[in-house]
Formats: sequence, structure tokens, C-alpha cells
Amino acid sequence: MGAAVNRMAQSLVLTLLGGAILRVSALSTIYLNYVKPGFRPLLVIAGLALFVLGVLGVMQEWRRPYADGAPTAPAAEEEPRHEDGHGHVHGFGPKVAWLLCLPVIAIFLISPPALGADAAQRDDAPPPRPAPQDAYVPLTTDRATAMPLGEFIGRAWGDANQSLKDRKVKLVGFVVPSKKKGQWYLTRMQLRCCAADAFPLKVSVLGLSAPRPDTWVEVTGTWVPTPYDQLPKGTVAPEMKATGLAKVAQPAEPYE
Amino acid sequence: MFAALVGFLLIGNLLLAPHLTAPALRTWSTIFVAICVQAIPFLVLGVALSAAITVFVPPSFWTRALPKRPYAAVPVAGAAGLVLPGCECASVPVASGLMARGVTPAAALAFLLASPAINPVVLVATAVAFPGQPAMVLARFAASLLVAVLAGWAWQWLGRPGWLRIPSRTTPPDGSRVAAFMAAMRHDFLHAGGFLVVGGLTAATLNVTVPRSWLASVGDVPVLSVIVLALLAVILSICSEADAFVAASLSAFSPTAKLAFLVVGPMVDLKLIALQAGTFGRAFAARFVPLTFVLAIGVSLLVGWVLL
Repeated sequence: MGAAVNRMAQSLVLTLLGGAILRVSALSTIYLNYVKPGFRPLLVIAGLALFVLGVLGVMQEWRRPYADGAPTAPAAEEEPRHEDGHGHVHGFGPKVAWLLCLPVIAIFLISPPALGADAAQRDDAPPPRPAPQDAYVPLTTDRATAMPLGEFIGRAWGDANQSLKDRKVKLVGFVVPSKKKGQWYLTRMQLRCCAADAFPLKVSVLGLSAPRPDTWVEVTGTWVPTPYDQLPKGTVAPEMKATGLAKVAQPAEPYE
Repeated sequence: MFAALVGFLLIGNLLLAPHLTAPALRTWSTIFVAICVQAIPFLVLGVALSAAITVFVPPSFWTRALPKRPYAAVPVAGAAGLVLPGCECASVPVASGLMARGVTPAAALAFLLASPAINPVVLVATAVAFPGQPAMVLARFAASLLVAVLAGWAWQWLGRPGWLRIPSRTTPPDGSRVAAFMAAMRHDFLHAGGFLVVGGLTAATLNVTVPRSWLASVGDVPVLSVIVLALLAVILSICSEADAFVAASLSAFSPTAKLAFLVVGPMVDLKLIALQAGTFGRAFAARFVPLTFVLAIGVSLLVGWVLL
């Protein structure tokens, strides 16, 4: 990491980083592990820009007679001509640019997965109590209704009409162990922008033994009503009496 | 060097990836990559604008657009932050480009602080996150602009030229403007991007190691809760377009504490400190960051007391 970055290496770092971003955004849906779906166009544009910038730079260097990183470029191409203790050397880029290899290495080497049980257990902050509203659609009685975890929690705590009562629902999430005996959490992380601001949506599952943590499952069951006013401010996950459980693949969009 | 790196990546992907499975490491790496991935499009936008400013906009434009007297230029530049629809990563290179073009540093700094907090995208996001509380949007706008202008004036009044490293650029004499644009973009991105990674590493580490449950215990203490949420904003390094949603979910805290979170976040956070130190020098960051942080808390308390 000690060497200053010559212009060839600069261009290669840009190409690699652009390539890594295109790999996770344009060529796959891996980016959904990190950010909201709406980010895709921004990522594709940024990845393309970096990739093109890098490739053009490499071609430029290729054509120029190349003397082991010696400054041979015309004045317009020069880096600032001073040495200031931040790695600027005449004709070279900043040393800190090497660090841009880290996200590339992380993407290819660790290929970080979507946040799972580890992150959900880490974050013990009480979830906010949803504002009561009565706009929820009534549920049918003849079959189990599939809904996001967020909607289930909203109906459980914030629905004046108790529309969940005696209705079967189907929820999808991953398994997080609970400290309480005989129950576990069905969990989904919620994102606002990127995984750094994720927080868990949890529903306590009763009546079934817990699968391995981080397994994605679809649980069928009914809500266990809790007296609305006896709770501290929304600090408890709503409970659900489970009747059926099926393993499912992790959804393409792992967050809610 | 690079053949080795590429080879390492390919072989590593096959051999090592299945073994790197410690849960905490995975959480950390996800958050680290997420911060980088989320910030890079805005950083690219920022360096492209900055390069365009230095290469295509003649210096005379700025002398005409901004008032001549620095104390008058500061509020104008701060209010101009309304037009850059990006988050804080974009504003650092743009401010550096403005300084390279001869804009008074104090005015460019006011723009740097204001633009990530008061642009329309962020204000709309704030309104969506706090439904039925338009006072929060107004308070965020007013407090952020006020901090930006006060910090700009304070820098104009107290700042020494030696503290601030202004990146120097020369316009090419002839038609090679496109080449100059690309060279400027390449240099700025590599530089700012490297420091973004430093910030991302720190933020991901603190994000994973600092438990958030201790927050709940101080929610009721008046001034302490404001300072705690301000520090949380520094640690989390959330993009300014998303921080309103996070603030809204911190239900145990007073509106003033949430306001402090929203005002501090876009102006002082770990990735921003790294970016500022890298772009303008450590001597600058060591003075400007505490100044902004203290001003942001003070103004939040004041505006929160008046409006919320």
C-alpha cells in the first residue's frame, strides 16, 4: 500500500471499481443487499462513468511512451505540483486512492450478504409505535392472506378495527432466536436508504420450534391479540400463533 | 501489482469466500459496502460538477454571481445550496471546485454546509418522514441555513489562510478541455473516494460495535438527549436523504433532539470528516468540524425552542 498511485494504476483502480459497481447493479441484483431498489439507475450511471473514465485512461497510457511512471504528460494532465504530506507527488495520484480497492475486494471476496439475524439481534432499540389509523382493508376469512411484516405489525398495534382478529395470514421473513422460551422471531430488516440505517421488524412466533437462525421461512398463523393499552410504547413484537411453516428461498429484495 | 491483485480477487473468490462467514464480519462488511455503494453515485455527481465548474465555467462568472464583499457572499452561497440535489458526499468536491475558481472560501464553506441539508429532495424526504409536522421541515431548513451562514461568517472572521488547503487548478490554454475535465474528475474521485472509504470503515465499525439500546435510557434528559442524538448522527453517517426517516423512528426522543440529529448529520459525520480532511487538509478539519458541531447543536436548541 506504500506506493504512490501512478496514472496507469489510477485508471485501473477506477476500472475495477466501476466494474464492481456494474457487477452488483447492472449485471445482477446483488445491490439489493445494500440499498433500496430505486438506486439502480444511479448505480449503473455511476458505475459506467467510472468504468469509462478508467478504460479511457488505460488506453491513453497505453498509447503514450511509458517510462515506469515518470511524468511525461502535458501540463493539462498534471496533478497539483506540490508535495504536502498527503501523498501528492509530482505526476502521481494520492496514496489514499489505494483504499478504493477495499470495497472492490469486499464485493468480490466476502460478497457481503443481506443483513440477517446477527444484525437483527444487535439492534435492540424499541421499534416506533405506528400511528393508529383505520384505513386498513378488511381481510378475507376463507384463506390465509399474505402480507409484509410491516403491515402485520401496523395492523396489530395501529388498527382501531382490529382487522387481524381471527384471520389467517402468511408472513415471510428470516428466523432470529428469542431470549424467551418457546418462541422465536420472524424478522425482516427495513431500509430507508442503505443497510447502514436498517432496523428490524419482528413478529414473535408461538407454537412451533425454531428453525436454524437466518433460515428464510413462510409462516402461516393468526395474531394473538394483546391488550392495546397495557403495553409500554410499542416495545414488544406482536405475537402470532403459528400453524404452518415452509422454507422459502431468500426473496430477491431481502428488505422491506 | 495489478495482475497480482486481480489474480488474488479471482482465486480468493473461489477459495476464501465460503470460509469468511463469521456473522459479525458479515454484518460489518455489508454495512461497509452499503455505505460505499450508496455514496459513490453522489460522489461521482459531485466530482463531475466540480470538474465542470473548474474547466467549463469561467472565473468571471463567480465574481458576477456572488457579492464582492465576503460577508455578503456567505448567505448568498448558503442559499444557493437549495439547487444541488445531492447528499453531503457531492458537496465537498463541489465546494473545493468553487474555491479553486476563486470563490471566497467562507462562501464556499457555507455552500458546503447548506446544500446537503436544504435541497428540495431532502426537504421532501423530511416532510414524508414527519407526516403532519410541517414545523419540522421548516425548523430543519431554518436551522441548517443559519448554521451554514454562521459557520461561514465565523471562518471569514477567525480563519487564517494557512489552515485551508485550496486545490489549485489551471485551465488548459487550448482546446483540450475534455481531457482536462477527465483528468480533474479522475484525480478528485480517487482522492475523495479514498477518504470516503476511510469514513465508511470507521462508520461501519462503530455502527456494529456501539449498541443502540443505551440510547433509550437518555431519551428524557433535555440537553443530554440533544447531544446524544447529535453524536449518533456523527457516528451513523447516514445519507442526508435518508436521515429524516431514521430520526422519525427514534420515538423516545424530543422533537428538538431529532432536529439536532437532522442538522448535525449532513454537516458533520465520520465519512464527511474524512472527506473534508482529505480535500482541505487536516488543519482545516481539526478546526472546522468542532466549530460546525457546536454551532449545529446551539442553533438546533434555539430553533427547536422557538419552532417545535
